[in-house]
Amino acid sequence: MKPIFESYREIIPDFDLFQESLQKPFQTHLRINRLRVEPQPLVQLLKTRGVRLKKSIESDDSLYLAPGLESPGNLPEYFSGYIHPQALTSCLASVALAPEEGSYILDMCAAPGGKTAHMAQLTGNTGVIVANELYPRRHVGLGHTLSRLGVLNTVVSGYQAQQFPMKHPFDFVLADVPCSGEGMFRKTGEAVFYRERKSKGMLPDLQKKIILRGFDLLKVDGVMLYSTCTFNPEENESVVNHLLENRDARLLPLDTGAHHEPGICEWRQEKYDGQLKRSARFYPHRLDSVGFFMARIGRRS
Amino acid sequence: MKHAPQIALAAQLKVSKVGIKAFQKVGAFVKPTTRMIQTFGHTATRARVEVDEKQLQSLLADEALSMDLSLEKGYVILSLGEDFILGAGFYGQGKVRSQLPRKELRRAMFQLSTALIVPNCSAG
Repeated sequence: MKPIFESYREIIPDFDLFQESLQKPFQTHLRINRLRVEPQPLVQLLKTRGVRLKKSIESDDSLYLAPGLESPGNLPEYFSGYIHPQALTSCLASVALAPEEGSYILDMCAAPGGKTAHMAQLTGNTGVIVANELYPRRHVGLGHTLSRLGVLNTVVSGYQAQQFPMKHPFDFVLADVPCSGEGMFRKTGEAVFYRERKSKGMLPDLQKKIILRGFDLLKVDGVMLYSTCTFNPEENESVVNHLLENRDARLLPLDTGAHHEPGICEWRQEKYDGQLKRSARFYPHRLDSVGFFMARIGRRS
Repeated sequence: MKHAPQIALAAQLKVSKVGIKAFQKVGAFVKPTTRMIQTFGHTATRARVEVDEKQLQSLLADEALSMDLSLEKGYVILSLGEDFILGAGFYGQGKVRSQLPRKELRRAMFQLSTALIVPNCSAG
């Protein structure tokens, strides 16, 4: 049988290990919500109840792997907003952006709200976060996540991300854009084959519009993070390259404390700006989480 | 948040929600929301009612707890033990009743023997 994502064999290191990792079910990762509780006492409390947590990365004491924990939503600590089940790599997006206290922040595609809430935690509920989400039906879940986790510094808006009003620039912008979601795929249960959605081909065009608008909404010394949960270079490096070609943008160093591979500078017939090596690719066989891509972007001085 | 200078900037956007909902009017009373209590309840110095797990199970089974509290009729803050703030209760006529959201807080959550934790599945 043809391996899944065979077309990426040349760009994904240790491709056989990558294939193997797709056979394993996702592990449960939890983020301990410091807006509600300090990590250490909660880790101890959960231990007495048989839930053993293991730090996901050494440098962050709020991100944990919960081996064998099947339904974290059934814990009272979930109801109380002490914990939030969130893929490790999804948490790393907020860590990579590293928003500062008292900042004006835009989350361009915010639902279901895990990253927004994480940014509220990192800023200690100070400043203001605009959590933008186009689809009204997703506002319910977004609002629920934010209120359960004790997020107070957020306003919710419903603009198309690529047409977000150019009113006041932001200190930090998170563009976690709609993508093909290849990084979410695991070959378990009935999902043996990865099926591409018909809309996949249209995504890069939308992503390019969003990244340009996100950059235009940035203050002179602001920082933006572009992220997806796909391996597809056409939705990753190619989109960031489009920004570099059309705006005075530059890629900033990116450090999450977790292992990542550098972005690629060539894909099929396309060659990308050398700066793309500063972007980050997170693979499931390296991190045992959802596959992710991130690029940290600032203005050229 | 209202003291944050950026709120004036965000006010120029069309927004559907700001912060969290803190209260709602219920008859003659102003009822604090579960999320408001969970966020600020630890700072309250009165109208706090501590329950143990057995009492909580009763509350979640829609039973009232008989308690003689020196409080007027109205909403109280329920906590499991001293620290685990749960949400709102209602005190009146010597009884405390649950105002906790039933869909979100289920009895099974506090039955520690239930199979929340499954045997190690390829956890590695």
